[in-house]
Parts: sequence; C-alpha cells; structure tokens
Amino acid sequence: MTEISKLTELRKLMQSMERTLGLEKLSPVERDIYYAAEELSKAAQEVRTFGLIEHTLVQSVSRPTFFRALKSLVEQGYLSQSGSANRGRYIVHAPR
Amino acid sequence: MCKWATESFFASLAYVVASFLTFEVLMPLQNMFFPEYPSRASLLFLPHGVRVLSAWLLGWRAIFALLPGVFLVFAVLGGADVFLQSRLMAIVIAVTTAPAVFYVLKWVGWDLFPRPDRKPCWICVMGVGVITSILVSGLTNLAFNSATAEYIAYLIGDISGLFFLMLGLYFAFRFTDSRR
Repeated sequence: MTEISKLTELRKLMQSMERTLGLEKLSPVERDIYYAAEELSKAAQEVRTFGLIEHTLVQSVSRPTFFRALKSLVEQGYLSQSGSANRGRYIVHAPR
Repeated sequence: MCKWATESFFASLAYVVASFLTFEVLMPLQNMFFPEYPSRASLLFLPHGVRVLSAWLLGWRAIFALLPGVFLVFAVLGGADVFLQSRLMAIVIAVTTAPAVFYVLKWVGWDLFPRPDRKPCWICVMGVGVITSILVSGLTNLAFNSATAEYIAYLIGDISGLFFLMLGLYFAFRFTDSRR
C-alpha cells in the first residue's frame, strides 16, 4: 500500500466514524459512490459512470438511487461533469 | 528501504507528538481539575491511539516503525532507567501488542486490516484498542509491579486516548478539506 492510500484508508476509517456519530453531510449511498469515485480516480483522472456502477461498494445500489445520488454529489460539488465531449465522465473533488 | 524509513519517521513522530500532548498538556490539566486523583497515569493517553492505528495501517511493520518513538519517549521520561529490564520489557510490550492482536484476529478469521474494496470498521478498531489496552495494561503492570488502581487508570486512559485521537484526526481532515 502506498503512502497516499494509507492516508485514504485513514480517512475512510474516520468517515465510518463520522457516519456512526451522525456527523456526516452525505447519505450512505452518496458516501459509497464518493468512496468508489475516490478509489477509481487514483487510476485515472476522470471516473466513468460505468466504472462506478460496477464498483464493489455500489453494486447493490439500484439504478434510480444511484443516479439520484450521483446528481446530488454533482450538485454538492463532490463530483463535476468532465469538460470533455464524452458524457458520463466525472472529476472527483475533495469534500468542502 | 525508503518506504520503511518514511513509515518509521511518521509513526514515531506521531507517537512523540501524542506523548508530548499527553504529558505536557493533558496531564497538567488533569492535575489541575482532578487534584485528588492519586494515580500518575493519564486518563487520556493519546499514544495508545497511535499504537493501534499504526498497527492497523502497517501490520507487523508498525513494531519497527514505532520503536524509535517509543524508545525516545521512555528515555525522556525515565532517563538512564530506560535500560532497566522492566522498562525494556514495557517498550517491547508497547510496540508488539497491537499488531499481535490484529494478526491473532486475522488468524481466527476476522481480518480488520484495510483493503481498498471494503469499508473500514472503526468500532472494530476500537475493539482491538480495548483488547490491546487490557493486554498492555496487564503486562506493563506486571513488568512494573503496579497497583490495581494504576491498571484501571491505564485502561481508561488508553480507551479514551484512542477515541479522542480518532475524533481529533476526523476534525483535522475536515479542517484541511475545508481549506482546499
């Protein structure tokens, strides 16, 4: 595991704590999609919707819930649509 | 080799900083607010959190990563006494117990080590912190031949130290995120 992924794992641990203590701003599905996007963004700058849907953390989420949560994440600024012509690609941003 | 050096530097630095905060900031406050409390043990022992989180992140490598920091803290607190057999035993207990607990749990089928494809369980890490604390307190008190009151104080200090260290890390991450 690289240094940066150790930091990611530590952040994930804190986020699981955040969830239990009720300190979070995101819903559980939004959080899972955001975790998945963060994970996938390590390999490529842009994250594809297809890759997100296939991710282990998101597999059990229904399509309508997934797209609602994805839209909410874009509205809250956690993800943004990629500027390239190809739709269905997102850029991950740090939580505000 | 460079990775090991980096891990050792950050883990030991975290241990030294947590110890400094515990002994130079929290202990004086504890003595001020609870002057009648007889034990010399801290009721908020942050280094325990560093031990548990290092073991969770680094596995057995945490032993060597924490060793310089733990030795330095023992040397600062105990001076030349750090080379006494009881102190050396306490150092060994301090660095080996948390990784040992994680590996024993993994061996019995409860693997808590971080993996990219699953969510970490902070309650489980806290659980390991409690088990580790019981073992460390028991073994350290055996090494130092301390009283039962000290044993209870170590337990309270370790568990609260782990919880508040994690809470502190959470707010530190949130603060750095908000400044980006």
